[in-house]
Amino acid sequence: MQTNFTTEQLADPDVAASEKILRACVHCGFCTATCPTYVLLGDELDSPRGRIYLIKQMLEEGKPATRDVTTHLDRCLSCLACMTTCPSGVHYQHLIDHARAHVEETYRRPWHDRTLRALLAFILPHPKRFRVALLGAALARPFRFVLPPGRLRAMLDMARDVPGPDATDRDGVFPALGRRRARVALLAGCAQRVLAPSINAATIRLLTRHGVEVVVTGGCCGALPHHLGKVDPSHELAASLIGQWVAELDGEGLDAIVVNASGCGTQVKDYGWMFRDDPALAKDAARVSLLARDITEFVTTLDLPAPSQGSGLTVAYHSACSMQHGQKITREPKALLQAAGFTVREPLDAHLCCGSAGTYNLLQPAIASQLKARKAATLAATGADLMATGNVGCMTQLADAVGMPVVHTVELLDWATGGPRPEALGSR
Amino acid sequence: MTEFSNRLRPRDEADLAELVRTATGPLEPIGGGTKRMMGAPVEATPLDLAAFNGIIAYEPAELTMSVGAATPLGVVERELEARQQMFAFEPMDPRVLLGSPGEPTVGGTVAAALAGPRRVKAGGARDHLLGLKAVNGRGEAFKAGGRVVKNVTGYDVPKLFAGSWGTLGVMSELTLKVLPAPETERTLILDADDASGAISLLARALGSSHEVTGAAVVDGRAAIRLEGFGPSVAWRVGALLRELGSPDAATLEPAASRSFWRDVRDVRSLAEAPIVWRVSTVPSLAAAFVARVALSAQLRVLYDWGGGLVWLGLDAAYEDLVRGALAEGHAMLFKAPAEIRARVPVFQPAPSGLADLERRVKASFDPDNRLNPGRMGR
Amino acid sequence: MIAMPKPDPQILARRQAIAAQLRTLLPASSVIAETERMRAYESDGLTAYRQVPLVVALPETTQQVADVLRWARREGIKIVPRGAGTSLSGGALPVADAIVLGLGKFKAVLDIDYANRTVTVQPGVTNLAISNAVDAAGFYYAPDPSSQIACTIGGNVAENSGGVHCLKYGLTTNNVLGLEFVTPEGEIVRIGGKHLDSPGYDLLGLLTGSEGLLGIVTEVTVRILQKPETARALLLGFASAEQGGDCVAAIIAAGIIPGGMEMMDRPAIHAAEAFVQAGYPLDVEALLIVELDGCAAEVDHLIGRVEAIAALHGVVVSRVSTTEAERLRFWAGRKAAFPAVGRISPDYYCMDGTIPRAALPRVLAAMRDMSAKYGLGVANVFHAGDGNLHPLILYDANVPGELDRAEAFGADILKLCVDVGGVLTGEHGVGVEKRDLMEYQFDAVDLEQQHRLKCAFDVDLRFNPGKVFPTLHRCAEEGRVHVHRGETRFPDLPRF
Repeated sequence: MQTNFTTEQLADPDVAASEKILRACVHCGFCTATCPTYVLLGDELDSPRGRIYLIKQMLEEGKPATRDVTTHLDRCLSCLACMTTCPSGVHYQHLIDHARAHVEETYRRPWHDRTLRALLAFILPHPKRFRVALLGAALARPFRFVLPPGRLRAMLDMARDVPGPDATDRDGVFPALGRRRARVALLAGCAQRVLAPSINAATIRLLTRHGVEVVVTGGCCGALPHHLGKVDPSHELAASLIGQWVAELDGEGLDAIVVNASGCGTQVKDYGWMFRDDPALAKDAARVSLLARDITEFVTTLDLPAPSQGSGLTVAYHSACSMQHGQKITREPKALLQAAGFTVREPLDAHLCCGSAGTYNLLQPAIASQLKARKAATLAATGADLMATGNVGCMTQLADAVGMPVVHTVELLDWATGGPRPEALGSR
Repeated sequence: MTEFSNRLRPRDEADLAELVRTATGPLEPIGGGTKRMMGAPVEATPLDLAAFNGIIAYEPAELTMSVGAATPLGVVERELEARQQMFAFEPMDPRVLLGSPGEPTVGGTVAAALAGPRRVKAGGARDHLLGLKAVNGRGEAFKAGGRVVKNVTGYDVPKLFAGSWGTLGVMSELTLKVLPAPETERTLILDADDASGAISLLARALGSSHEVTGAAVVDGRAAIRLEGFGPSVAWRVGALLRELGSPDAATLEPAASRSFWRDVRDVRSLAEAPIVWRVSTVPSLAAAFVARVALSAQLRVLYDWGGGLVWLGLDAAYEDLVRGALAEGHAMLFKAPAEIRARVPVFQPAPSGLADLERRVKASFDPDNRLNPGRMGR
Repeated sequence: MIAMPKPDPQILARRQAIAAQLRTLLPASSVIAETERMRAYESDGLTAYRQVPLVVALPETTQQVADVLRWARREGIKIVPRGAGTSLSGGALPVADAIVLGLGKFKAVLDIDYANRTVTVQPGVTNLAISNAVDAAGFYYAPDPSSQIACTIGGNVAENSGGVHCLKYGLTTNNVLGLEFVTPEGEIVRIGGKHLDSPGYDLLGLLTGSEGLLGIVTEVTVRILQKPETARALLLGFASAEQGGDCVAAIIAAGIIPGGMEMMDRPAIHAAEAFVQAGYPLDVEALLIVELDGCAAEVDHLIGRVEAIAALHGVVVSRVSTTEAERLRFWAGRKAAFPAVGRISPDYYCMDGTIPRAALPRVLAAMRDMSAKYGLGVANVFHAGDGNLHPLILYDANVPGELDRAEAFGADILKLCVDVGGVLTGEHGVGVEKRDLMEYQFDAVDLEQQHRLKCAFDVDLRFNPGKVFPTLHRCAEEGRVHVHRGETRFPDLPRF
């Protein structure tokens, strides 16, 4: 695509990078078809091609973002289905990230929007704050009917009985059982450890049982503020993680950095790009990104033993967008589940987002709830006994909608290899 | 062919254009004259196209054939057979049903859009007409379409001419798509409880992957044709019989199959009926439609196109009964004495919005209504 | 350089009032009138041309379409229909004083009828979504343009789209049974249905491929087919395009109509191989992919025959797919040929002429000379069975003058196609791109007759103005035209 940037504009490395991305786009429109918001809204402005146009215009003109542009960019889920579809290799992820940062810098949002975003960026990356907030929300929940349907109600809807912290919910080293085959870092995460501490617990059991020493480190990967366009807080969180991991790497060493929330995995794998122009961190960030593995990628290398007996259960596997589009992991989770004795089914339109998308379900509840209903219906249509996925956001989004228990893939793998039956399955 | 003293005989395209341009009254384009007793009767000066006879270009490897409009269909088909090719829409010979004299021509066949049983698989005349030269009602010679098999340049005017009964323009040259003729063929004959059951069998066959090229109900039994290469046909016959739950049903060998489908194509079984309707409808509605007509009239019936084409043989027109019983589709009075064709709309009238568009389309070619006026009731 | 009709300044001046009126007919979110937002609609798949429209309207129901069109007729406002905006000929290019009427919200599958093998959908449903909707029952919709993931069935009808399988299975026009459309007067008209043939003129055939000049399609009924039991492909390399072409002719002469038969020339082979590593031989001048589909008995039988024919025509590389994965790998390079070329060149210009296949060596040789003359590379992919050629001219839009050279090169290629007995476009449509070449293929009388057809539907010439036909003159009363000579040409519009 033809672009119009001045030499001065191109001196900014971010603009130069975006210009390169824009030039790769041939405007073929293939991306529109797999974009959840275009499928729902039918307006090209709510499609990747339309947003690319809006971004191109905004960056070329070098002017502050307008309300209209912000509206359409905010509706993007960053699900990256467009990148899976794009035949020309347009790196939409880096383009929308740049655009979001530009919006955050140049556009003054209405006070309520600003407050909400600040609040989310303040609370979510920090487990303690999040736990307190959820407890407060749970208290407020009985009064939700007085609220108009919208963001606040969406937030209260998310509040639920908060499980207590799990025994494994601490940083530290969990030694391998038996002979040590590998040593990995596990990203402890933020919202996930509050909402579903069982995931980290299952991950640690699964890994240590198969001879892997697990070093649990760190908090938020920075994805949540990153998607809100808040560059500095996001970089700070990432830098802190990079520091911790590099210390381990240069100390006892690591075979992998394991991430069990695919949204976070996508982010960690992008650290190399985020810090590409940072002389102090570029090299370490790139090392970290290269070592990052989704839990299913890493477990695939372990050759788990076959289960002593199959559960006889049929699993509807929901591939999170950050898994299938962000990290392009499509085969491993299904293969592992099958090998663990489950029958695996996939819903129709498996490429479409469930509407969770980080904080999207809180910021764009109307679109998110339509996507949720659509996804829940296609998952239910599989007739499976339970649903598994590799991202806590999707689990939270779909838990009350699919009409079947919702678990993390790793909980099933843990169960099949000697771990406890996942609590979500109840006594079925 | 009946001789007319006032018959016009253009020598070439320029002459044809001149004759149309200077005509003082309506004209009736005639090729072989086999279909003159079809459509609403026309009072017009015959325009004999005999000069436009002959194969202009035949490129077997390009799958195209260009001919003069009045080239006899038989001549072209013999030429095609020599190269193991065919007009895949399986043009019908109307003489069997109508008892008409003369030789059907390529132009007339296309103008009447008379496709045979293979229509279900390969499409109709419309789907095989690639290009044409014609003279419109103003007496202007023009061309449309092209001489290659794949072309979307400009409006698809040839589609309009297929089935236009000489009312839009006088075709002088046509280019058609040709296809390889099948190496062999077989026909399965399956018993059924009734027409509805037979049509269900046909639907299952047509909904299979076995590339059915003929699907008719004859004498209450379902007939299914499979064509192609020897090993393929042999395998598909067995597979389809198994899938339809009749592994031991009768099959017709190639020669018998060919003659069977020729009779279906030409509707030989209804040849004696004084009135014949050709009804295009939704296959799953066909049996109920026929049952409704049968409540009030003695009839003979032949279902082709998996039930989508119903031929009704009656002893009177019963136009209200036939069109009234038809929930979807359209009924054409294919065969009837002139006085009935003058009274009953031969082609099913269109709703007002559509009829208005059709009138404007006709006027865009023939503003003074010179060509076959009233033949289609449009 | 292409020129578009001169916009009516009075209409341009009324933009906001027009948008306000549209908002009384449509939901507020369905009307876009800010330049910044309309820019996303300024182009389709042919990015060389861009124009911000007057207003963008996105109706949700047929009744809304009819309401808008009746109102637009009263107000004398022009309409540019748009589906997914994937046209490669500029069919959906906006016009400055016209409303873009987008059908992106028409996404419902209305009826699936397995007994009669039909599907009825709204026009914004994508081509691939139709196949997906019936996939579980083993059916599919046969025409498969390369953009099938995104292009809509409404757009397919407007353009009469083809695809790699259309020699055997037909173009859109051979697979559509019924339409509902709204005329420029705002009348809702239905033609065809689940039955075959028409009692009157074949308006279904006329509307299909009319490039949005005659009406807005609001519902489409297509026929569906059961998927072939199996498919296998051969990869055949030749030392010359002539041998490849002869081999194709011999395959057809043997009575074999393959499901797909695609040829690539050396530059296309190299670009595709570099992109997807399909395992293509790099030392051949022409690569043929022949796909045979049907029952296993047929496919196995024909694979042997095609191999034998290829051997007689000097094939230097011959491979047969033995697994589904291998078949897909053979195709991967061909399917990725366009984007692959997009990666070796910042921009490419895709042409779409059809030629009698026998003329292929002559056309390729002439194209090599033109490539040298214009200083631009060209890669060819070719639907070999039906003679539909897709030369991809490589250029860089950021280099001044290259687009002009690419266009002149393209025009020369298309004229050559006509010279050898072919046509300007086999499946992409005339659009704005090939409009000014129409006079090369058709004479004044031919074009006048087509123009009169336009007048029969759109007497004010308000639908998709500036597309397909190179001259602009009014329709006379009662659909008759009296201007034959000295018609006004479109004034030049600066290209962006």
